[in-house]
Amino acid sequence: MSDRVTPKPLPPHHLPSLKQIGKPLRRVDALGKAVGATVYAGDFSMPNMLHAKVFRSPIPSGRIVRLDVSKARALPGVACVLTGADLPNARLATDLPGQTGRAQRKGSDAPVLAIDIVRFHGEPMALVCAESLEIAEAALQLIDFKYEALPGVFCPEEALQPDAPKVSGDDNVVARWQVRKGDVEKGMAQADVIVENTFYVPFVEHAYIEPEAGVAWVDEQGVITIRVCTQVVEHFRTVAKALGIPQNRVRVQGTMVGGGFGGKEDVTVEIFLALLARATGRPVKLVYTREESFLATSKRHPFKITHRTGVRRTGRITAAEITMLADSGAYPYLTPYVLLYATGMAAGPYKIDNVKIDSVAAATNQPFTSAFRGFGGPQAAFAYESQMDEIAKALIIDPLELRRINYLKTGDTTVTGQAIRSAAWSEECATRALAALGDKTPDSPTRKVGRGFASYFQSYGRITWFHDTSRAWVGMELDGTVVVRCGVPDIGAGQSNSLCQIVAEVLGVPLERVTIYATDSAVTPLAGTSTATRQLYMSGNAVLQAAGVVRASLVKKAAEMLGVSLEDVDLDNDFAVAMSQQGPGVPASGDSRATAPQSRTSCCGNSEVRGSRGLPLAEVVAKAAASGLPLAHLAQFNAPFTDGLDPETGQGDIWPDFTFGAHAVEIAVDTETGEIEVLKSAACHDVGRAINPAAVRGQIAGGSHQGLGYALMEEYVVEKGMTKTPSLAEYLIPTSCDFPATDVIVLESGTGVGPFGAKGIGEPALTPAAPAVANAVADALGVRIFSLPFTPEKVIAAADAGKDVVKPDRHW
Amino acid sequence: MSLPQFEVQQPQTLGEALKILSEVKGAEPIAGGTNLMVDMRAGTHQPRVVVDVAALRDLHGIEVTDTEVIIGAATTIAEMLESPILAKHATVLVKACSSFANALIRNRATVGGNLVTAAPCSDTAPALLTLDAEVKLASVRGMRRVPLEKFLVNAFSTIRRSDELLVSVRFRIPSATATGAFRKMGLRKVSCMAKVDVAVLLDGDTTGRCTSARIALAAASPVAVRARAAEAALVGKALTPEAIAAAAALAAKAAAPRAGSEYKLRVVEALVRRLLAEAALALTRGGSNA
Repeated sequence: MSDRVTPKPLPPHHLPSLKQIGKPLRRVDALGKAVGATVYAGDFSMPNMLHAKVFRSPIPSGRIVRLDVSKARALPGVACVLTGADLPNARLATDLPGQTGRAQRKGSDAPVLAIDIVRFHGEPMALVCAESLEIAEAALQLIDFKYEALPGVFCPEEALQPDAPKVSGDDNVVARWQVRKGDVEKGMAQADVIVENTFYVPFVEHAYIEPEAGVAWVDEQGVITIRVCTQVVEHFRTVAKALGIPQNRVRVQGTMVGGGFGGKEDVTVEIFLALLARATGRPVKLVYTREESFLATSKRHPFKITHRTGVRRTGRITAAEITMLADSGAYPYLTPYVLLYATGMAAGPYKIDNVKIDSVAAATNQPFTSAFRGFGGPQAAFAYESQMDEIAKALIIDPLELRRINYLKTGDTTVTGQAIRSAAWSEECATRALAALGDKTPDSPTRKVGRGFASYFQSYGRITWFHDTSRAWVGMELDGTVVVRCGVPDIGAGQSNSLCQIVAEVLGVPLERVTIYATDSAVTPLAGTSTATRQLYMSGNAVLQAAGVVRASLVKKAAEMLGVSLEDVDLDNDFAVAMSQQGPGVPASGDSRATAPQSRTSCCGNSEVRGSRGLPLAEVVAKAAASGLPLAHLAQFNAPFTDGLDPETGQGDIWPDFTFGAHAVEIAVDTETGEIEVLKSAACHDVGRAINPAAVRGQIAGGSHQGLGYALMEEYVVEKGMTKTPSLAEYLIPTSCDFPATDVIVLESGTGVGPFGAKGIGEPALTPAAPAVANAVADALGVRIFSLPFTPEKVIAAADAGKDVVKPDRHW
Repeated sequence: MSLPQFEVQQPQTLGEALKILSEVKGAEPIAGGTNLMVDMRAGTHQPRVVVDVAALRDLHGIEVTDTEVIIGAATTIAEMLESPILAKHATVLVKACSSFANALIRNRATVGGNLVTAAPCSDTAPALLTLDAEVKLASVRGMRRVPLEKFLVNAFSTIRRSDELLVSVRFRIPSATATGAFRKMGLRKVSCMAKVDVAVLLDGDTTGRCTSARIALAAASPVAVRARAAEAALVGKALTPEAIAAAAALAAKAAAPRAGSEYKLRVVEALVRRLLAEAALALTRGGSNA
């Protein structure tokens, strides 16, 4: 019942009211998308352009006996065919050592095109480009490929056996991490109950609306220019390395991206395009089909996760022993880091003093796995939140009470020994999500209703030992309009808009008067990747700094013109005003610490009065320019730079900060057909500060449905290395008809390390949805399902097993 | 993949179409193309010549006579969904159409195409099986009428010869009291292939006795099938929960899911039981239309 869970009152916190921040303004990218004016990567063409296709391995493991492309080359209209033999030194660097100057991980490179051996179904083997797409496709058919099948390894446990075929290195181990904190033996000895369970999650496809695409050409300076949908324009370096040319001879022009979710974090079409454009001297276009997008690009890692948890009768967790085994697929890509994130989040948002975690990722002849929204977090959360409910069941204690006893609080340290420095509103979020479910829907004989929730914590910003940086340029034009230049890739989550809204706030102009140039490695300052929920944190702080410098010039000139002190000047709605005559506003500073928490309440007098007392901003700009004050500034924001984790203990401070939140669902299980219907869904997250609340709500609504899909239908099926779900007909993702809208509750503690106290919400929005469903299904049936997704066959089996189970009484 | 090169013939009359099918080797009819085009793009099916029959007048329209309903083979699923004739005489079919794929596909896909494709998960086939439908096949050699149950041979296999065109589907108007029910079980609510389809059409007298029962299943065996033993067990009996449960158990025996999908037997039994109960309840209230 709705009155049984009371939202926990929020601790005292200060949230200044601002003029543009916190307003659901129309996003700067909205109109172009709404009217179809946005030119996505696949929409772009050039005169004299060639069309490319990729020849891919039809088998998961084999030796190339013959790869004869002579007939394809001879086909009229074919401009170029390349194979691994043409590119003996072309390697794709999959490691991202950042700016640390560290060496790349050994063995982390993949061949651009297979040489001698193919290691997965879909591995690229040859490139073709031709005058038309049809000719390129016909040429693919003329490639003569003879192979000798080699024994493959199709499961990470097999891969770790001493006699397993070797896919990577001499032991198939792609990465290992370990955490040793406190004394697990002692902790287990202190426990009254030890609960042990093993959980499984499958391969998952990103399934963004826009498959990978791009056009490349050689410009008049000889620079290879690639217009591509990507989360990482810095891949110009990866392309340069693969081609063996200087980094300043490759330019990546990012486009508006039709969804990334981590799938466009690795190189996709860029190197192929660059090679073909260089070889032919002509523009080349390559657009993956949906089927090719499925076959060619990364997947979310399957994991096997075992939790052994010691707990006192009181509910206090005394020890956690966790093992994780992940499938890396045929090449490493970002597996080591995904595994690290999963390891760091493995125990969930709980304070546990005695912890032992061992995680390993193994190479197999399966699709390669890499980044996917949550980066190891969703897999970890499915396991730790399922485990928490199993512990509650074993102790006969309310799951909410169990969590309340163990939640991490500000000042506590995580399993990797990092102190939580910002607000940790786990209970505040969980109680609100549960309360939002309202009255419980009654059961019927064949339809059992269950409720569940899940909490989580998740880092935002990259691992700090990568020494992450971002840059942004902000400039004022003479008419009082503003230009932002920042290399941020906008992957549909409002990255560009957030930056513009921050600049509008600082410079006192309406959002419409800000224009942003983004995501071009040659002409916009490099901002780093749109990954790791880092752009608002990193580039948001960079634009805040840059705009603050410009603001200081305007304030200085306005103070002179108004005859008041610097502190008395505010910039608001295209005017410079004296606050002593107006009321309070934003202080003049670009420093996020100084700007955010100390800001005062909004200036909300009417504009005519302001106009009569203030100076039009354009006049101030003109005078400032005439006196040589800087009206443009390039700022660099550096995240904290740290060392890595201690390799023996896994202890260290390696994340900028964490987001906390919870998701609650009510579901109905048809015990005879195995169907699960989501009746209600509510998510509550502390986002620190919502720069644009409409965009934040959209992120959470979308993330929650992606997570519900993970729970209920998404599974990329691979049998003996062969993809069995090759298209959207077999691989089902949720439609708008499948789930109710998630009730989104946004909390703002103002304590994040992003601009104005913002935290990151892009990835975390997905994380708690699947374990919430898992716990609701277990509540409905009295029996848990330990593997995703919850298909009808698994549900029917669980319903049978739970037929006579007496369900514990629960308050909610 | 792009579509391969192929020839398109656009006959203006049924006669022309049949002539092409009889004379041009490898010619295949196309109507909505929602299956064929996908297969052609994937390269799994590559007819050299396709004969576009979507516009042939003889293949269109839903008509009712004193005794029969006749649906042109090129009638789209969307047209069936909006047909007052089907709403009056064949709600079981309308319900099947409403669960068919999604609105975009329903605008193109045709009933003839759905039957000729003979996919295991056809949504129209089980509904039409409960209506005891017949298909009419035409060729230059003449016409023949075949019960749908005989027409469907196996997964993606029918008795249609390569020179034949399916021109219409017909069924006798069910009695005014006969009541139909349909349920599709899939992994999502729209745009998905059935995991199990069940259609029932039940009739009874005023005493609550079953006078006619037809039960059909799809996606639970290689091709849509009638559950005849279950039907026989009901006819002449009172529609008690026990009789319905017994029939549902028999219906599951008519299913033959692939190895690894045995759970479908459970789903079939549950859905048949529910649909029979639903139809039986409607009968006690005077029955609706089929």
